[in-house]
Amino acid sequence: MRQTIRNTSVLALASTLALAGCSASGDGDGGTADTADGGGDTITVMYQRTEGVTALDELFNRIKPEFEAANDGVTVELQPIEAAEDDYATQLALAQQSASTAPDVFYEDTFRVRSDVEAGYLLNLDEYVAEWEDWDQFNEGARGAGRGDDGSTYAIPLGTDTRGIWYSEPLLEAAGVTLPWQPENWQDILDTAEQIKAYDPESVPFHMYAGKPAGEGTLMQSFLPLLYGTEDRLYDEESQTWNTGTQGFKDALTFLDTLYDDGYAVPVEEALDANLWQTIFDTRLPDAKLGGVVEGSYGASFWQQGGPFEWPEYADSIGVAAFPTQNGQAPGRVSMSGGWTLAVGAQSDAPDLAFEFLTLAMNFENSLAYTVENSQIAVRDDVAGDPSYLEANPYVKFFTDLVEVTNFRPATADYPRISAQIQEATEQVVTGAAEPAEAAAAYDDALVRIVGADGVSGS
Amino acid sequence: MAVPTAPGTTGRTPALAAPGRRPSRVAANAVLVLIGVCFLVPLAWLFLSAVDPGASARTSLPDTVSTENFRAVLTADIALRPLLISFVLSLGSATVTVLAAVLASYPLSRYQMRFSKPFLYTVLFGTSLPVTAIMVPVFSLAVRTGLLDSIWATALFMAATSLPMAIWMTKNFMDSVPVSLEEAAWMDGAPAMTALRRIVVPLMRPGLTVVFIYVFMQAWGNFFVPFLLLRSPEKQPAAVTIYQFFGQFGAIDYGQLAAFSLLYSLPVIVLYVIVSRSVGGSFAMSGAVKG
Amino acid sequence: MRILPLVPAVLLLLLFMAGPVLWSLYGSFTNAALTGPNAQNPQWIGLDNYSRLLEDPDFPRSVLLTVVFVLLSAVVGQNILGMALALLMSRASGGVSALIGGVVVSAWVLPEIVAAFVMYAFFTGEGTLDQLLGLVGVDGPNWLFVAPMFAVILANIWRGTAFSMMVYRASLDDVPPELVEAAQIDGASPTQRLFRITLPVIKSTIATNLMLTTLQTLSVFTLIFVMTAGGPSNRSMTLPLLAYEEAFNFLDVGYGTAIATVMLVVGALSSVVYIRMLRPGKD
Repeated sequence: MRQTIRNTSVLALASTLALAGCSASGDGDGGTADTADGGGDTITVMYQRTEGVTALDELFNRIKPEFEAANDGVTVELQPIEAAEDDYATQLALAQQSASTAPDVFYEDTFRVRSDVEAGYLLNLDEYVAEWEDWDQFNEGARGAGRGDDGSTYAIPLGTDTRGIWYSEPLLEAAGVTLPWQPENWQDILDTAEQIKAYDPESVPFHMYAGKPAGEGTLMQSFLPLLYGTEDRLYDEESQTWNTGTQGFKDALTFLDTLYDDGYAVPVEEALDANLWQTIFDTRLPDAKLGGVVEGSYGASFWQQGGPFEWPEYADSIGVAAFPTQNGQAPGRVSMSGGWTLAVGAQSDAPDLAFEFLTLAMNFENSLAYTVENSQIAVRDDVAGDPSYLEANPYVKFFTDLVEVTNFRPATADYPRISAQIQEATEQVVTGAAEPAEAAAAYDDALVRIVGADGVSGS
Repeated sequence: MAVPTAPGTTGRTPALAAPGRRPSRVAANAVLVLIGVCFLVPLAWLFLSAVDPGASARTSLPDTVSTENFRAVLTADIALRPLLISFVLSLGSATVTVLAAVLASYPLSRYQMRFSKPFLYTVLFGTSLPVTAIMVPVFSLAVRTGLLDSIWATALFMAATSLPMAIWMTKNFMDSVPVSLEEAAWMDGAPAMTALRRIVVPLMRPGLTVVFIYVFMQAWGNFFVPFLLLRSPEKQPAAVTIYQFFGQFGAIDYGQLAAFSLLYSLPVIVLYVIVSRSVGGSFAMSGAVKG
Repeated sequence: MRILPLVPAVLLLLLFMAGPVLWSLYGSFTNAALTGPNAQNPQWIGLDNYSRLLEDPDFPRSVLLTVVFVLLSAVVGQNILGMALALLMSRASGGVSALIGGVVVSAWVLPEIVAAFVMYAFFTGEGTLDQLLGLVGVDGPNWLFVAPMFAVILANIWRGTAFSMMVYRASLDDVPPELVEAAQIDGASPTQRLFRITLPVIKSTIATNLMLTTLQTLSVFTLIFVMTAGGPSNRSMTLPLLAYEEAFNFLDVGYGTAIATVMLVVGALSSVVYIRMLRPGKD
């Protein structure tokens, strides 16, 4: 009997504790501007924060007090999501499922904009940008990345990027390659890789990403630069159909197959590690154990002071080159561009405040700081013309010039799933599970399943 | 269908061993040790790496033993607050589960009811319902009811997922408490619930401890449910932060990972030792799942 | 009145288990998604998701991998090893039994994600397994890459055997010693005694244990998610991982729930099989 009572009280205590713990932490999550009554608003801001992506976190933390001071009674609640890009997209999509969890302002990858506009997550910003004087500073290419299928503006680009080859000058020089190195076609890359391998069999001569773990990196830094250097494209803008059975698709896969099979790329079991890119910037390039890799213009941000893999002497050892077209055909160079945006939630209770926060985050000073810190390609003309932008790192001019030859992903609503199929195809090829032609055929089948027979064209 | 065995009654009857056959005992010992070593090697890695600042995926004696790894993860954000949240979640769900299971087991154990058996089979199937299979609707449910990112709702859901197993175990434990004891109480006109509270529950305290700790451990180790249902970084339990910790570094810091893993595992190991000591024999838990 | 105490449990189960199962079933007949136009207006599409499953080359392979994973790691691995351990323990000295039992149980007590890290370090390239192979002069590969199923199956055996061991250990104690002794006097060999007396006596325990381990293994997610994430090239993509990928990576909720529904059906079918096994022994 006494035992029973003691037990009951322990249980009661336990449940009280549990409830106390919850309500204490529950207070903070009223969150998303539930209280629509002007003064007491909360602006929730959702974005990605990882070891490698800290610039945005710093920016938001810097402007939060400023914004709160300027808007009496308004609280800015930052919700950084600690996850890789794919997981971040999942978390964001899950949060969009209800007005109470949907953020007011969020960080959105350009290639998901159109898809998420169709899902109704993004607020139409046409009226807002019309009255925003800074909007004139954003260049046309960048504006396009924030438009939905209806031509309205839904997201404001934070910056863009281009892609090229980052190579280790000491390793190439030692292998007898003339510097600066600029391959003219795909074969040049293989030849140089062979030269490096002959010099140092322990090194990785030339790497390009493949497989699902690398996610969009496989598309942007590997498959698409290859494909867009052939005569073929992924998507036909005119007929709005996806191409099947193209020679370029097979050629791109074949090139990856060669790169991995001949031992030029990182051994496949290491290549399928989602954290490979970090080891590339952390050790492989600094230690001159990697000849070259196709990576984004933001590469230098990892080595700069305050970056995740600080390396003050990077400029002395790292060279850059444009990725060549297949046979050197015009325009000779190829690049891919993506980038991230900020958007306002369609379900926001305080859209005006949310947009105001967004404009503060993206005014000239903040854009400049973010662009420099994150080694972005400027999307604002005033930032692009600022000396501190051009001097941010030795590669800014090179990567900014690549804008002339850059390509964008066909960011339709189906793109994320199609991207996954291409990642799968590259993984099949580099692991030897399928020949390039088989993997290309499997992709064609998958494409029909995704967009239907009407959505594809080609042989 | 169940052959209930109260914990602690597991006698050490050498059912198969022919007494005094030495060679067979030596051989059995040898084989056991061999298997034990196979199980031990990966565990050894965990312990050795935790105190080795230069740990890798290999198992080796550390050059220098240090608490560096522990100090690196023992910060509020990495280990401490998440561990506290794990504790709140686990305690909450274990409490709810045990209460609901005790109540539910009473009629199942004591009355002959036509639906008892189908109910128990359903419950048995529920014991291992793939959580992945119902996460999407559970997520929608949480969203629609505004319970996303709520610690107590997450605890309640975890309580529900472990409830089938808890009912199953509790019912088996309750079956082993002789009805005759309550009959006296019934004679005196005491309601069934009084008999449950005053007679049955005290008698099955060891069993309930087992159930409580079982559910606690389940909740403590649950990664997937809080991974999806809790959104804010400051509400993530250790299972989730340790996963983020694993994924965020280019070259995995095995030493810190092992140290964090040990810190995170320690409470359940201690609980397990307590339950196996106090309830008699390290195999008490199995009494509940015997068919 | 009598069933009143069942109410809290039934409510919890209905709300958090039965409700979501039905909802999941319903969702599998829609094209609900977390992005794109279907996120706003999911449509009833009948059996389209299921016919898509049949056309999807990933799906049959995933079913096969799941069956292999369950059969080898649970039905064969955990059960037989667990039984062997229990039998050996009943012969071995008390101290050795307790010690080894403790070691085996430790792997089971660890939180699943920690067990997954430990197994990752064990099987990864230049990990502990390769180190051991190095001792005998073999240059081991990254097992997670060359043989992902082998790695996750062994990992699940390592983690889950304790459960079967404990169940069998307890049930062996219930075998009446007189029966065994009688058989011994009749001159039955140890093997005969095992198959003719011990196993038949604990038959219902075996069936229950098989069912529990099967269902638990069927839903194993974290272990594989951490070790291989279903790769490489989907070579360890069991159904729970496939469902997760479709629903939460591709944000295709309808399709993901269709896969989840298949998982539920597989679980239900295997339960029925075991319950059948159980029945004749009881009645």
